[in-house]
Amino acid sequence: MKTGDVGLITTTLDKAMEWGRSNSLWPLTFGLACCAIEMMAIQASNLDISRFGSEIFRNSPRQSDLMIVSGTVTKKMAPRLRRIYDEMPYPKYVIAMGVCVIQGGPYNQGYSVVLGVDRVVPVDVYVPGCPPTPEALTHGIITLQKKIRNETDR
Amino acid sequence: MLVEIIEETKGKDGRRILKVAKENLIELMTELKKQGFNHLSLITGVDRKDKIEVVYHLHNFESKKYIIVKTETLDERVPSVAGLWSSANWDEREQYDMMGIVFEGHPDLKRMFLPENWVGHPLRKNYDLKKVQYINMDEDGNDYATFDPGDGW
Repeated sequence: MKTGDVGLITTTLDKAMEWGRSNSLWPLTFGLACCAIEMMAIQASNLDISRFGSEIFRNSPRQSDLMIVSGTVTKKMAPRLRRIYDEMPYPKYVIAMGVCVIQGGPYNQGYSVVLGVDRVVPVDVYVPGCPPTPEALTHGIITLQKKIRNETDR
Repeated sequence: MLVEIIEETKGKDGRRILKVAKENLIELMTELKKQGFNHLSLITGVDRKDKIEVVYHLHNFESKKYIIVKTETLDERVPSVAGLWSSANWDEREQYDMMGIVFEGHPDLKRMFLPENWVGHPLRKNYDLKKVQYINMDEDGNDYATFDPGDGW
């Protein structure tokens, strides 16, 4: 972006689109297990993610563009998760929240748990922890916004 | 009580634990229901390797008493109590799904959580965890299990 002396801002259309998209992420109401309790905290008044442009949680996958997979993904849930992901309009992003979602976590050797949600849907940001604190998830969302704007996180 | 009880003990919290042969189970349960134990809290199964133990937790709302009934089976077959308590319907289906206990006389004994063609019963000691199974959904929305990692998750 370049700021001129005459009060004008020039930018490319791509940059403007990325800026707009990154600041209006609409997460999907999608809680699978205990991580969902921490996910609920980030939209409450204490850690309000609306400050960073993530707005309120939408109840329909057709109105949302961010899926926070919060909690253990069982093998029975995986086809449903894929179907909900397919129903979301482009552009869409996925945050994997918690170790269960990243690689199975404490249920790694069980018979019923998917070993990583990245086997089911493509994941943009991984937030480790058991469960991650709401601050960690907020950081994950800010990291995703930087990723959408093609900024490096350093 | 006229039913033959093999062993009667008391739990740590003073609950009566009755052990009964599976042939006398229905008779004992009918008698207990007459005494006012009108709530079946849960049914659990215990895998003792050579035999399977089935445990029933009953509650009496009037006298606020619990009672535990245990029975054993060598051939994985136990008479169903779904005719006495309706909640036993799903409890027994869950035990059939996880432990492979066949409840004789159950109205609709099919798997509770896993797809119908899942191989084995996961909470049994002899279940082979190395043979990983995957689940996928067909076009009608019905689940099926598969050994092919390319077909499911």
